[in-house]
Amino acid sequence: MFYDLNVPWAPNDPELQRTLAFLDELGYNVVALTHTISGKLPSDIKCPIPSPLPFPTPGKLRLLRRCTLALSDSNQNYRLSALSAAYDILAIRPTDEKTLQQACQTLDCDIISLDLTVRLGYHFKFKTLSQAIERGVRFEICYAPGVLASDNMARRNLISNATQLIRATRGRGLIISSEARRAVGCRGPWDVVNLAAVWGLGQERGKEAISKAARFVTVSAQLKRSSYRGVVDVIYGGEKPEVPKEEDKGKNYGSKKRKAGVGDGKEAPLSKRELKRREKKARMEASAPSCCNDSASTPGQATSTAP
Amino acid sequence: MVRLKNRYLLINILYPTSAPATSVSGTVPDALKFYQPTSDKLTPQLLLRLIRDGVAELFGDYGAGMIGGSLQVKYLSPPTSTAIIRVTRSHYRLVWAALSFVTKLPKPLDTPCVIHVMRVSGTIRKAEEEAIRRARESVLRARLIIGGGAQGLLKEVITADDGDDEDASMDGIEDDEDDEMDEDGTDD
Repeated sequence: MFYDLNVPWAPNDPELQRTLAFLDELGYNVVALTHTISGKLPSDIKCPIPSPLPFPTPGKLRLLRRCTLALSDSNQNYRLSALSAAYDILAIRPTDEKTLQQACQTLDCDIISLDLTVRLGYHFKFKTLSQAIERGVRFEICYAPGVLASDNMARRNLISNATQLIRATRGRGLIISSEARRAVGCRGPWDVVNLAAVWGLGQERGKEAISKAARFVTVSAQLKRSSYRGVVDVIYGGEKPEVPKEEDKGKNYGSKKRKAGVGDGKEAPLSKRELKRREKKARMEASAPSCCNDSASTPGQATSTAP
Repeated sequence: MVRLKNRYLLINILYPTSAPATSVSGTVPDALKFYQPTSDKLTPQLLLRLIRDGVAELFGDYGAGMIGGSLQVKYLSPPTSTAIIRVTRSHYRLVWAALSFVTKLPKPLDTPCVIHVMRVSGTIRKAEEEAIRRARESVLRARLIIGGGAQGLLKEVITADDGDDEDASMDGIEDDEDDEMDEDGTDD
């Protein structure tokens, strides 16, 4: 299972259908459509991404809805709980060191996604990043802006920042996704792993970054939203089988036996053994009604049949 | 005598922005659109230059020098958009990264494309076998689609001329299993 958790979504984007089909063709199984919010939040938060998209999508591809919130002011109150309820995944894009620190330490989100194509004026510290990773927040590296970049600087910054991030997190808690606005920006899963390997992330860790770690993000995000205090989630309640179904069952197999039992009387159907017993008793009573020794030897039978 | 160790990269050129197929009709499945035949103008020399330039751009003179002696295009088939590239084992990742950064074919063709490495293997025989296996698989898949749904259009695409036939024959090549094999191949 391969995950691409960042495909930008825009209303009436003609490229999106092709991008999704291409990602499916490259071997991805789960794709998250991203809606980016920057600046002021709207008063009522709801997800603008239509749940079945207006065009046909590949059947095997699972689609998620994700929100990326650009964080510019650490004092402003972003209604994160309302945001996370409206989307499947909530990502935060800090713009400076202060907001990055805040995002790592306190903010309740699933992914921290930095814009790696610009020069960041600060160094990543293992201490702050590890706090986020311990809380279950993952860091994201987006490769498509570097692949599609027309100028060298964006690519250079991406490589520099990605290696810095890999160094500071020691290769743990990273996910890699595309952020491709066009289908040309997407690459196959193993091509991405190789890129990460060139950037200093081991092959195993690189594979984890597009499969296991990304799965962790989706599952824990889902658990946060649907479960009781993020601990208990009811997946299947084990419903009781319905009554009419049982009747069907009876009709389907063993119909002969049941019919005999049902036709016998309105009370509980008699067992074969009981029937034989009664038969035998009737025969004995008919042949030797005066024989008291036999009836005395089987008192249980006698009492049971007497009424 | 020490043997020179190489890696053989089996690559496939995909065209995510395929103009011709969309003009035929809107109902051709997307899976078939991405596998277009490459123009005959793409020669082994041109592909070699594309890779050399890419490596030189990404890794500078150091990278270009490291792969310079061993880089060779062993096989190139424009109808199926498939190629096999030989490179020294110690630096195959440089070539692979350069291939990942390619967004369009060089000047006389100038079409946007994505180069997808399907298999990394230590012997050319395994790379060839993989190419044949994938081609066969995709022919089966194309037949399955014909048997199933949009028949007329697909037949038109696949049987119209040989080039398109080859194109359609390259479409079954996405499997997790294969990628795992791919991983095995890359382990040093």
